[in-house]
Amino acid sequence: MAEEKDNKLSAYLERLKQQAATQQHYGGDITPEEAKMDIRDCPKCGAGRAFEKGLTACTYCGFVFMDIKLTDGVNIKKENNS
Amino acid sequence: MFGFFNKKYDNPALLEEMKTRQERWFAFLDKLEARMHELTTAAIPGLQEIFNQDADPYKRAHSNMLQGLLGQINHMRQKANDIQEEQIIDFVYQAEAMVPVVTSTVGRDYHNRIMNFRMACLNRHYIFDEKLNKCMQRLQQATGARDLEAAYQEQLRAFESIRDKFSCQQCGGNITIEKMFFIDTYVTCPFCHSQNTFSPSTGARMVLHDARALAEQRTAHLRQAYEESTPRDPEREKVYLRAMIDEWNKIIPDMAEENEKFYERLLREQSFHHFK
Repeated sequence: MAEEKDNKLSAYLERLKQQAATQQHYGGDITPEEAKMDIRDCPKCGAGRAFEKGLTACTYCGFVFMDIKLTDGVNIKKENNS
Repeated sequence: MFGFFNKKYDNPALLEEMKTRQERWFAFLDKLEARMHELTTAAIPGLQEIFNQDADPYKRAHSNMLQGLLGQINHMRQKANDIQEEQIIDFVYQAEAMVPVVTSTVGRDYHNRIMNFRMACLNRHYIFDEKLNKCMQRLQQATGARDLEAAYQEQLRAFESIRDKFSCQQCGGNITIEKMFFIDTYVTCPFCHSQNTFSPSTGARMVLHDARALAEQRTAHLRQAYEESTPRDPEREKVYLRAMIDEWNKIIPDMAEENEKFYERLLREQSFHHFK
């Protein structure tokens, strides 16, 4: 009787472990990535994004990179609006 | 003068019923406790195993299993609460309504007995609840504290080794990352002034996630000093909170302003917890 109970418990725990391991994570799996540097050129004129004239629009042709108004954050400040 | 209030009241069936109910209640909680201990003891090795095997940085597989087990334990708590409500509390109200009023001499003895029954049952439930909380704690602490300091130092070393190895994607000029970033950020090329986007590694991002836990680990001795004080000393808690926030700010200086706001909130909550 006690042995049967033990078996039931270990079977339950094993099932729980399996479920926990195979359950799909909310937001997907995380693949470890190395640090990297990237850039987004202006798709219209090909120029690089210049800092002085703000981050939201291309300095040279006026192409709008992002159609939002930046507010103060950790690294981006509201002065970075074009 | 007619002796109405001194009339003998005798209800052996009620006494017998209380005795049986109390025994049944104790036996039920004993069984539940045995199952709870059995489950906890059997689950801990599995929890540790899944924690060590889990490659996810947030240890979500371990968290899934832990939540499943805590759900089982909470289910036992719910069951005990339901049975207590049905079999003890309801019965006490019924019994109190059945016996003569407490102000009469005849009723007092029975009310005392009902009170003793009620207290014995509630005390037993309190002990059960304490044991249940201990089991939950054992499950939560089964994997022990992670060595966050070592992981943080490793990330600092990794950053030092890569900080000069980037180049501008526009002109190819060398870019040195001035400080450790934990989220994506714009980095200006010193030569062509183009905005490059620096994406930190997964390990560096995890520093932001684990920063508070690491700060708590570093100041654990202060927390312990506060928790061991009886009655709990609000001044010691304040010392702990200040030290913890300072450590947190040292790890993530960019978040210092937000952390200070959080500190202010903790202080407000503290005055609520220590309200006298």
